[in-house]
Amino acid sequence: MDLYLASVLTNMTLIAFLALSAYLVLVVGEVSFGQQAFFCIGAYLTASVTALAGAHIVWGLLAGMLAGAVCALLLGFLTIRLSGLYFAISTLCFAELLRFSLLHIRFTQLIDGREIGPDGPEGFSNIRWIFEHNYAVTDFLLLAATCLLILLVLLFGLQRSHLMLAARMVGNDPVLAQSQGFNPHRYRLVFIALSGAVAGFGGGLFALFNTHIEPAMFGVMLGVHGLAYSIIGGLGTPLGPLLGVMLDIGLLESIRQLAAYRMILFGGLVALLLVFRPEGIASPRLVARLRRRWGRRRV
Amino acid sequence: MFSLQGVSKSFGGVEVLKDISLTLHPGERLGITGANGVGKSTLINIATGFLTPDVGHIKLRERTLTHRPAWAFAQAGIRRTFQTTRFLATSTLGEQLLLVARTPECRARLDALLQSSGLQSSLPLFADEIPLPMLRKAEVIRGLAAQPEVLFLDEPSAGLTVDELHEFGGFLQQHLHRKTALVVVEHRLDFMTMVTDLVVEMHLNQGLQLGVGGC
Amino acid sequence: MEVIQTSLDGLMVGSTYALLGLGFALVFGIMRRINLAFGACLLFGASLAIYLEPLLGWGAWGLFLVTMAGAALASAYVERLCFAPHSQRRGAVTAMIASFAIWMQLDEISSQLLPQRTHAYQGLEVPTLWLGELSVRGDQLLHFGMALVSIMLLYILLYKTRLGLLIRATADNPESAHLLGARVSWLGFVVFFLAGILGGVAAFMILSADGYATPLFGLWSTFKGLMAMIIGGVGSLLGAVVGGLILGLVETHAGAALGAEFRDMVTFGLVFLVLIIRPGGLMGVKIYRTDNAAQERV
Repeated sequence: MDLYLASVLTNMTLIAFLALSAYLVLVVGEVSFGQQAFFCIGAYLTASVTALAGAHIVWGLLAGMLAGAVCALLLGFLTIRLSGLYFAISTLCFAELLRFSLLHIRFTQLIDGREIGPDGPEGFSNIRWIFEHNYAVTDFLLLAATCLLILLVLLFGLQRSHLMLAARMVGNDPVLAQSQGFNPHRYRLVFIALSGAVAGFGGGLFALFNTHIEPAMFGVMLGVHGLAYSIIGGLGTPLGPLLGVMLDIGLLESIRQLAAYRMILFGGLVALLLVFRPEGIASPRLVARLRRRWGRRRV
Repeated sequence: MFSLQGVSKSFGGVEVLKDISLTLHPGERLGITGANGVGKSTLINIATGFLTPDVGHIKLRERTLTHRPAWAFAQAGIRRTFQTTRFLATSTLGEQLLLVARTPECRARLDALLQSSGLQSSLPLFADEIPLPMLRKAEVIRGLAAQPEVLFLDEPSAGLTVDELHEFGGFLQQHLHRKTALVVVEHRLDFMTMVTDLVVEMHLNQGLQLGVGGC
Repeated sequence: MEVIQTSLDGLMVGSTYALLGLGFALVFGIMRRINLAFGACLLFGASLAIYLEPLLGWGAWGLFLVTMAGAALASAYVERLCFAPHSQRRGAVTAMIASFAIWMQLDEISSQLLPQRTHAYQGLEVPTLWLGELSVRGDQLLHFGMALVSIMLLYILLYKTRLGLLIRATADNPESAHLLGARVSWLGFVVFFLAGILGGVAAFMILSADGYATPLFGLWSTFKGLMAMIIGGVGSLLGAVVGGLILGLVETHAGAALGAEFRDMVTFGLVFLVLIIRPGGLMGVKIYRTDNAAQERV
C-alpha cells in the first residue's frame, strides 16, 4: 500500500475514535468541546506506560483508556448541574486547563541513552514501541482499524439495548425520561465516562503512531473537529461520525489540488448541509426509518 | 397513602397554588376540574416532582418525597401522562413501550395490555404515524404497565371525540389495578363521572383539602 | 504603586475584553445562541483592512473603518447562513456547529488574504500619559474612551429607540415580540451586525495596540469574549462589561505575579470555577435560572 494512503487512513481511524467519543456525549444530549482532553490523557499515559515503564502496548492502551474514563467521570461529576452551553464551555475550560498544566510537567529519564518522558512544551518524544517491534505503517493501520472495528461492533450491539435507548430518551426529552423513572444524571455520567474511555484509547493509538506528542497538538480545534464530524454525520448510528470523518479527511484532503482552499470549501459545505439536514446525514430519524424498511423486508 | 400537605407555589411573585392538600388512598379515583389558570397543571407538576413546592410536604406512605427529583417520584410509583402526548420521534412505539418494561412482571402486564388495546399493529410505527386516540391509549398503557401507586392523567380528553373518549374511559376502567389511585385533571365532566368517584373544582388562591375521603 | 500600575493596565486591556464579551452577550442575551465564528469575523475584518490598506492609503482610520465594516459584514453573513435557518428551539447546537464550520472558512479566507504569519497593523500615535509615577499609553487611553463611547451608544440604541425596544422584547419573549410586530428573523440580523461592529472596534483596539495581527487572533478573541461573558453572567450586557474588566485585571495581575505561562491557566481555571460554583456568573443568575426552568418545563 502507498505510504501516503496508509498514513491518511491511519489518521482517519485515529480521529474516528475522537469523533465517536463526541458522539457518545451527544447521545445523552450534551455537547462537549473537551474530548481532546481525554484523547490527550490517553496519549500521555500510553506513552508513559510503553516508553517509560517499558510495558506491552496492551497495558499502555488499557491504561490510556482507563485514565480517559476516570478523567471524564471526574469532569462529569464536577459539571453535574450544568447543561447546554454551560456544560460545553466548562468542558472547553477543563481541556485547556489540562493542556496548560502539561506545559509544566517534566519527568524525563535516561533510557538507552535517550531522554524519555513528558518534557513540558517540548512534549513527549521517542515513543518507540512500534519501531522496536518492527511495525510497518500498514501493520499499525491494521491494528488501529481492528480496534475501531471492535469498538463499532460493541456500539452496534448497544444500539438497540436498554441502556442506549434510555440514554437517547434522556438526550432527546429529559422530561419524558424522568417521568418514566430514568435518572438523567446517571445516564449522563455513564456516557461521559464511556466517551472518555473511547477518546483515551484513541489517544493512546495516536501517541504510538506519531511517536512524538506535545500539548500543542491537543488544542480546542482537535476536539471541535471531532464534534463537527459527529454532527455532520448524524447521531442515528455509530457510522455517522465515521461518515463525517470520511467526508472531511477522506474526500477533501485526498484532493491535493484543493489543499489551499479546502477549509473554504468544507466550511461552506458543512454550513449548507446543516441548513438542509440539521440533524446530519445519518439522522436518527432516517436511520430508524431505514432500519424499519430493511427489517420488514427481512421478515 | 399518597399525600400533599399545605402546598403553596408562586411564580415570580404570583401565587398560583395556596395551601392545597391532597390525600389519596389506594384505589381512590379523584377528578379535578376548574377554570384555566387556577393551577391544575401546577398541581400535577408538583405532585409528580416536576416542580418543587415553596411550602408544604409530599409523602408516599411514610416516605417524604418533597425535594426529590421527578425520576425518583416515578420510581416510587407516581406516574403521569402529558397534555400533549410525549413520545420520541426516533424510536418506534414498540421500542419505547418495551423500554419501560424493566421487570418480567411488568413485561407480562404490558403484553396483556397491548393485547386488549388493539395497539399491536401500531408497534412498528413512529409516533407521528399513529392517530391521537391510539397515542393516548399508548401513553396510558405506559403508565399502567408500571403498576403505579398513583397515576395522574393531565387532560386525556384533549383532541378526542366523544366516542373516542368513551372508549378510552372504558379501557382505563377495565385495566386500572384496584390498588392504583387515579387523579384525572379534566374539563369534560362526562368522562370524569365515568372514571372517577368524586369530582372537585379548584378555585384561584383558595386553600383546599382534596381527596375522596373515607378510609 | 506597582499594584496600581498593574491594575491600570488591566483595566485598559479589560475594556477591549468588555467589547468582545458584549459581542457574545448581545447574541446570547437576545437569541440564546453562541456564535463560535465571532473571532473569525473579527480576524476577517482585520485581514481585509490590512489587505486593502496599501490600496486605500487611509492610514489608521482606514484600518479602523474597514476592520469594523468587514467584521460586521462577516457577522451578518454568519447569521444568514448559520443562525437564521436554525431558529427553532432545538437548533442551538446545530447553529453552533455551523458557525464553527464558517469559522474554519473565514480563517482560511483570512490566511489567503494574508499569507504571512504576522502583519503590521498601524496604530494611532498618541503620546504616553504620565500621572506621577503611573503611566498610561496614550493610544490605550484613547481606546478605553472608544470602548466607553461604544458601550454608551449601544445603551442608547437599546434603551432609547424603538428598535432597541423590539430587540429587548425579543430577548424577553420571542413569541410576544412577534405579536408586537417585531420580525424576529430580521432582528437576528441586526443583532449580529451590531455584535460585528462592536467586535470590529475591539479588534482595532487590540491589534493597533499590539502593532501586528496574526492568524491566531480569531481563536484568541473568541476565547476572551466567551470568558468575559461567562464571568460577568451569561446573557447580561452589563455583566459582560464587568466580566471583561475583571478578566483584564485578573490576567494582568496573574501575569505580574506568576509569570506569563501561568496567566492562561489562571483565567481558564477562574472561568471553570465560575461555571461550577455559580453558573450564572456575577450578574446572570436570574437569566440562568429562567433558562433552566424553561428547559425543564413540562
